[in-house]
Amino acid sequence: MMRFFRLYKTFVVQQLKQLMEYRVDFLTGATSFLVGQITNIVFISIIFSQIPHLQGFDYYEIIFIYGFSLVPKGIDHLFTDNLWKVAWFIVRKGNFDKYLTRPINPLLHVIMETLQFDALGELLTGIVLMIIASIKLGINYRFGNVALMLLAFAFGTVIYAAIKIAGAALALWIKSSGSILQVFYMSSDFAKYPVTIYNSAVRNIITYIVPFAFTAYYPASYILRGNDPWFCFGVGTAIAAVLLTLAILLWNRGLRAYESAGS
Amino acid sequence: MSNMIQVKNVSKEFKKVIKEPGLKGSVKSLFHKKTEIVKAVDNISFEVEEGEVLGFIGPNGAGKSTAIKMLTGILTPTSGEIIINGQVPYKNRKKYVKEIGVVFGQRTQLWWDLPLSETFTVLKEIYQIEDKAFKQRMDFLNQVLDLEPFVTSPVRTLSLGQRMRADIAASMIHNPKVLFLDEPTIGLDVVVKDNIRKAIAEINKNEKTTIILTTHDLSDIELLCKRIVMIDKGKKVYDGDLDHMKEKYGKMREIHITLKSDNDINKLSFAEKFGLTGDDIDIALDGKKAVVKFNSSKAQVSELLSYILSTITVKDIAVGEADIEEIIRRLYKGNENDETAHGNAAAVEA
Ligand SMILES: Nc1ncnc2c1ncn2[C@@H]1O[C@H](COP(=O)(O)OP(=O)(O)O)[C@@H](O)[C@H]1O
Ligand SMILES: [Mg+2]
Repeated sequence: MMRFFRLYKTFVVQQLKQLMEYRVDFLTGATSFLVGQITNIVFISIIFSQIPHLQGFDYYEIIFIYGFSLVPKGIDHLFTDNLWKVAWFIVRKGNFDKYLTRPINPLLHVIMETLQFDALGELLTGIVLMIIASIKLGINYRFGNVALMLLAFAFGTVIYAAIKIAGAALALWIKSSGSILQVFYMSSDFAKYPVTIYNSAVRNIITYIVPFAFTAYYPASYILRGNDPWFCFGVGTAIAAVLLTLAILLWNRGLRAYESAGS
Repeated sequence: MSNMIQVKNVSKEFKKVIKEPGLKGSVKSLFHKKTEIVKAVDNISFEVEEGEVLGFIGPNGAGKSTAIKMLTGILTPTSGEIIINGQVPYKNRKKYVKEIGVVFGQRTQLWWDLPLSETFTVLKEIYQIEDKAFKQRMDFLNQVLDLEPFVTSPVRTLSLGQRMRADIAASMIHNPKVLFLDEPTIGLDVVVKDNIRKAIAEINKNEKTTIILTTHDLSDIELLCKRIVMIDKGKKVYDGDLDHMKEKYGKMREIHITLKSDNDINKLSFAEKFGLTGDDIDIALDGKKAVVKFNSSKAQVSELLSYILSTITVKDIAVGEADIEEIIRRLYKGNENDETAHGNAAAVEA
């Protein structure tokens, strides 16, 4: 464990050094992301100026859920972005071999290798939106709900990471799985809005199959309205744990099936 | 334990999906995949002693990289056994790779954006090397591979030759007992190739590292290896002494001639003058360029040269060695003859 952190620190230091060197890249990345987020907010504002109450949710409640959804998504984006590269081209181009010739766990190696600082834009937007909404809604933060919220950020991040690990694992068989992963990942957009606006089929899918509803709506609904905490956090934690286990099992099977890339 | 590497009846098969052309084909393949089995490595056995440098040679597509990937634990053999340094590479991979180094000439294992020196810092952490040992190691590698001039440059800015030196250094940083080099000179020009070969030879001499290197370039082997294993289409076709092989099959030399006029070549009669007939001579003509391949144990290069120069006028003339394809062709011929003689078509043992 100590060793893992030392190694991670070494990777992070390298990343930071590079960040200093390519400051401009980082700024443009983060700025373009912020612009994207602002467009989204404007879009939500327009919808809400037309329909002030979406299925009983008022404007700032929606903003809160939206902001909430960006936090686990942003944390995952910050730490596990390299999985996209595995899915898209690392395996296909034959560059996955090197992870198998080093004496560390290949999955950890892949993840440690990159910190995606662009994700800070996502995180910041999410936090700012949550703060604004909290003030407007007069949310009362206590030790209990703050702790639960942090728990939800943690299992929300795990849900994102697990989906990406599973998606990247497919590349170990089919060489390139970026488009498949993208389809699953995109369904996280559903999680930005209250799940009650969807029909039961969509709702069940984003609750139990690709459980992105647990990355925002369910935990947020507890904070906002005191919805059943056992479901919102208990089931959320359980689902995240199961999903991560399955993803790692799939990844390990992928490693055994891995056939490298023909030249 | 003198055998560092033991490979016994190892095969590797790949399933290849046969794609039928057109949209209809791709739709069809969604439901019913036609697959074909490619035997990339076919029942190969050999052993390597500690401290030995083994040349693994064969034409493109022979199965060299696939073999190296099995030896390094990246791929699991379809059948057969491998024991290296007392371990099975594809089992307990993490422990095994601590004591080996790997270089794939065709792709770097370094981090593209990191300066080389930082790359070594990360590798130091990955392999858990002590500060003092690390410093000694860097000094040694620096001296052998001359990394100093580009050690602060990001890997993406290095020339191919520098990158190869960097890759070899990176594979040696943890003092491995066995080093696998897959085409370490591919794409390099002659001078750089030579430097790399010398460095590899020095590493082997200094550290007693057991080395397997693959190549399709015969000249790589001459400086580095006494012993070679030759493979073709996945099968081992020769295992033994390099000199012996050259003596037996590699005596073919080539004379490349650029002619002044096309039909000058007909003025030359090698059969009459030197008694070179049948398999001992082959003349290929492409426009004004002619290649004369001949068995140099039947006639002297210098005699042929002076005969050619005195008989016709040439624009240019050069002498080369027969390439690996030529040797393999002759090897098969040799095996066929052996078969009739001893009923033995197996690999030629020196
Ligand atoms: N990962 C793979 N999947 C399918 N076929 C492969 C794979 N790797 C190699 N092959 C096939 O196996 C044969 C041997 O390839 P390789 O080992 O790369 O040869 P070499 O390194 O000697 O050029 C080739 O026909 C190649 O197409
Ligand atoms: Mg190869």
